[in-house]
Amino acid sequence: MRIGIVLLIAKHFWTSVFKTRTIYLLMAIVGILLIYSVYSGTRYYDQNHFRSDHQEMARKSWEGNPDKHPHRMAHFGTFAFRTKHPLSQFDFGIESFTGNAVFLEAHKQNTVNFSEAGFSTGLLRFGELSMAMILQTILPLIIFFVGYSAIVSDREHGTLKLLLSQGASWKEILFGRSIGLAWIAILFSLPFLLITLWLLINDHHSSGDVWTRFFMISMTYLLFALILSLVTIFVSTGSKSSKNALVKLLGLWMLMTVLLPRSSQALGSYFYSTPTKLEFRSKIEAEVIQHGDSHNPNDPHYQALRDSVLAVHQVDDVTELPFNYGGFVMSVGEEISARIYNKHHNELLEQYRNQNKLNRWLAIVNPYLAVKNLSMALCGTDFESYVDFQLQAEIYRYELAQKMNELQIKHISPNRVSGSEGKTHVVSREEWKAFPDFEHQYLSIGRSLKNESISSISLMLWTFLAIGLIVRQSKIAKAI
Amino acid sequence: MLEAIDLSKMYGNHEALIDLNLTVRTGEVYCLLGQNGAGKTTTINLFLGLINPSRGKALINGKEVNINSDTNQMIAYIPEVVQLYGNMDGIENLNFFSRLSGHTYSKKELVELLEKAGLKKEDHTKKLSSYSKGMRQKVGIAIALSKNAQAIFMDEPTSGLDPKATDEFTTICKELVAEDKCIFMATHDIFNAVNVGSRIGIMNEGKLVHTADTSSINANELQELYLKTI
Amino acid sequence: MYALMFGQFLRTRTCQIGLVLILILGVISILIGKQFLIDQEKITSDVVENHAGHLKRNLEFHSDDIGLLLYYLEFVLVNPSSPIAALSIGQRDINPSVQSVNIRTLEGQRHDTDLVNPVSLLHGNLDLSFIILFVFPLLIIAFTYNLRSEEVESGTWRLVGVMSKSKFKFLLMKLAVRIALVLIALVVLIVLAALTLNISWNAAFVAFFVTGFLYQLFWFGICFWVVSLRQNSAVNALALLVIWLTLVILLPSALNNHIANKYPVPEALTTIIKQRDGYHQKWDTSKRETMEKFYTKYPQFESFGFPPEEGFNWLWYYAIQHMGDEESLDDSQMMRAKIEQREFKSRNWAKVVPTMHTQVVFNDVAGTSLTNHMDFLRQIQDFHEQIRLFFYPKIFHDENAKQINWEQFEPSYVQQEEEIDWIGNLLPLTIGLFLFLLLAVINRKAM
Repeated sequence: MRIGIVLLIAKHFWTSVFKTRTIYLLMAIVGILLIYSVYSGTRYYDQNHFRSDHQEMARKSWEGNPDKHPHRMAHFGTFAFRTKHPLSQFDFGIESFTGNAVFLEAHKQNTVNFSEAGFSTGLLRFGELSMAMILQTILPLIIFFVGYSAIVSDREHGTLKLLLSQGASWKEILFGRSIGLAWIAILFSLPFLLITLWLLINDHHSSGDVWTRFFMISMTYLLFALILSLVTIFVSTGSKSSKNALVKLLGLWMLMTVLLPRSSQALGSYFYSTPTKLEFRSKIEAEVIQHGDSHNPNDPHYQALRDSVLAVHQVDDVTELPFNYGGFVMSVGEEISARIYNKHHNELLEQYRNQNKLNRWLAIVNPYLAVKNLSMALCGTDFESYVDFQLQAEIYRYELAQKMNELQIKHISPNRVSGSEGKTHVVSREEWKAFPDFEHQYLSIGRSLKNESISSISLMLWTFLAIGLIVRQSKIAKAI
Repeated sequence: MLEAIDLSKMYGNHEALIDLNLTVRTGEVYCLLGQNGAGKTTTINLFLGLINPSRGKALINGKEVNINSDTNQMIAYIPEVVQLYGNMDGIENLNFFSRLSGHTYSKKELVELLEKAGLKKEDHTKKLSSYSKGMRQKVGIAIALSKNAQAIFMDEPTSGLDPKATDEFTTICKELVAEDKCIFMATHDIFNAVNVGSRIGIMNEGKLVHTADTSSINANELQELYLKTI
Repeated sequence: MYALMFGQFLRTRTCQIGLVLILILGVISILIGKQFLIDQEKITSDVVENHAGHLKRNLEFHSDDIGLLLYYLEFVLVNPSSPIAALSIGQRDINPSVQSVNIRTLEGQRHDTDLVNPVSLLHGNLDLSFIILFVFPLLIIAFTYNLRSEEVESGTWRLVGVMSKSKFKFLLMKLAVRIALVLIALVVLIVLAALTLNISWNAAFVAFFVTGFLYQLFWFGICFWVVSLRQNSAVNALALLVIWLTLVILLPSALNNHIANKYPVPEALTTIIKQRDGYHQKWDTSKRETMEKFYTKYPQFESFGFPPEEGFNWLWYYAIQHMGDEESLDDSQMMRAKIEQREFKSRNWAKVVPTMHTQVVFNDVAGTSLTNHMDFLRQIQDFHEQIRLFFYPKIFHDENAKQINWEQFEPSYVQQEEEIDWIGNLLPLTIGLFLFLLLAVINRKAM
């Protein structure tokens, strides 16, 4: 293979495509879609200020509490609002389907509520127009359209014979055309990536691994463009007529982007059922009850605990202990119930992961899914990023509850056995301020990528496979 | 220069070419006559290495031709319908194809090549899609010239050309032969074959049934022979 | 002649693969719908069955203190799923159809979500409405894109021109064959769905059926128009795919972005903070002040007077719980208005985008639209108030819980009878269909 000839053929393909009018029409269409998706993406991301404003509002209200019994504060609780990752401007991922706000209080793990989908009409189910969506679903169509006749029409016109008789080898022709097509595909993708980069540069939240993420996103989409170009040339070479090539490619697009992902996710959910909310809650409750009711200091299960505590301190009654026993019992109870909840919640998440597994593995055969999964993960808008938010909120909730128990143990008189209302037996309001606010941290890129190893491998495999297909095709292709 | 030894090609059960033996030397124009399906184009495709023979071999300068050989470096080809890239002009097409064969020409040289092939200068920068068949063929010839190949294969070069264009074509062929190149053409056109060819072969149903020297036969005799053969 | 045409078309691979694929996908979608319905019923029956036990248990423990009893007691309101919901799951997968509420602050309870896998939501449901909306048009495109051009490309078109009286009529006949096959496939699937899911042929289901039917005809209209433009197969295929992409994906998703951005709902977040503060901060303020506010809302309870400032008291406690709802009322109403605004806008747009319109009709007749859920939320509010007003005097009087007839608090079911707006449902698609047919007929001479 002579590189000079390959590049000559590539350049020739490029120039001949740019001599048609359609390419400018396509560019105009993609341009409009790009502008609109950038506009929508930034507008969505702007809604972050609602979240941070409300986080602040909740904090102010928390700090504004007067001196009180700490258990009242444990129930006053606070909120965790999920903030969008700066890269969510590029890929919305599952953002619209995940809850945005959760109320954090003692003893109770509330659901994360107010997802965008909950406020949405059926329209949302048609999909969302994001930059990533255009690169994932529209760009393949454009590549197919520009390249479907790349080889087959030369054969139909007999130019292929001329090319070969001029001394170009099949390999040179096929790789030349593939590269020419890939250049065009990359030309279409670059504005998306550059605008994203520009958005990131102008965003003061961009820091740390955002740049690595951006680099990997760029690589992902460029590889995708290359794979699609090679596949297009492969199909074009193997087809009898231009029409056949086009129909095959359009069918492939349908299957890859519309039918397969939805069907496999549906099958995943069909095979792995998840508990209903009531089942989930009552299982946890039943297990917690086995350990007794911590809220009730007279609970029989806690009597053993009380007796041992009394024995250690050599007193007869909890009021004689050097600390508030109610707070102590609740901290034990909180620990038990949180552990049980987390166990069940992890089981639930595992079941969701099982539901998603089919699509995850199908990424091996469907590069569209590989790109989709990888892109979501890199943009911090995937399932694991959401789970991580839930985890952070739960950890914060637990710390808050235990901090309040600790304050009760330390500062509330042992004589106050139960009840928390009133203005006696209180803790200074300074303590509320001293407890730090919830701050949502984005998942690190290392952990994001770990979840998407299958997709990363799939992209690599597909790159090699597509090159392999072209090499093989160059050995068996027919000029006539 | 060109040699076929027991060259045969089967498509499934159909024998497209059976035991072809022939030799073409430099300075010769060899015309292969025959009906559609007689095996002319198959012969050319075999020499171009687009298909592999079922039996026997085709040699160019003593080198065996097959799909993977690089014998195409030594030859040029002008298809029946010179379908070049319609959205590029003559110069651009010539530039692309000549560079494909590893020759880089300056703009001036490209113009000279097209002029040598008989294409008028004002047509050089027109889109190929506006060319007539004769004009396209001239670009095809220029491409062949640009490669400076020793052997040129032509498939039905005069079909659909008007008499003036045919005449111009004949002139160019003669010039090429004078430069010690050899031309191998498949044609239906008996009169042109006699006019331009040095030797003539008549094919029928995959077999070469007659060969004749143009110095020893005139057009009428050839036509009689041809009609008798088929 | 028709028999010949059927025979010829049935023998093509496109027809065979297309029909088999759509029937398989259709059956899968019906099974998925059935599973969805079973899951929904399980969620409901779990809650309903559990409720009797819940009532009994709490009555056992707390019947001596009605205030405490009502602190724990939950009441269930169910928004039952119509079997048609299995065919058009709509918003039912994300919006819960059962709500358990206690008589404390409502805003903190009524937005609790079900357990759902967000990735499944992202990929969407493979229900029959998806097959009808997304996949059937593709089948129609595959069946018709080369209606004319295949004849031209195989060289039979001139012959057709010579042999048949009217080429246009010939194309119409070919089209009729394809329409018949596609509609038969649709009928098979819908009948299969009716049998599998025990759907009765009521007005709602007939509306579903007729709309689905008309939607397919609309696509045939578009395809026939494109065919009438006399382009080659590749151009037709591409043009139709672009139309499909625009109508099914690009336009709706662009509009979704537009509406979601135009009407953001930060009030939801404000509501939950305000309801929390509205209630909790009253622990630290004057009880008298709270009670005054409560009595302004419910003057009928004024006779219960003002409790002492020190110590705990149920009258005051439920009054401060209610303050949570009162103080978040403005934001809650604003949030509601915004969501209704979104629904209103998308319904308006749907009138001119046939895919959106068909989805709206499907979700309406299946009772799975956002409107349906908003109605449910409103009914929960009424339900909540009704129960509160029933129990308030009993708690404030500290009545004996045993004297109350608890059987009346079995789970209630919401009745949502919706009138079917036949003209509004069918008109947009009919207009679209005739528009494209007209355009095609205009081109008839040139064919």
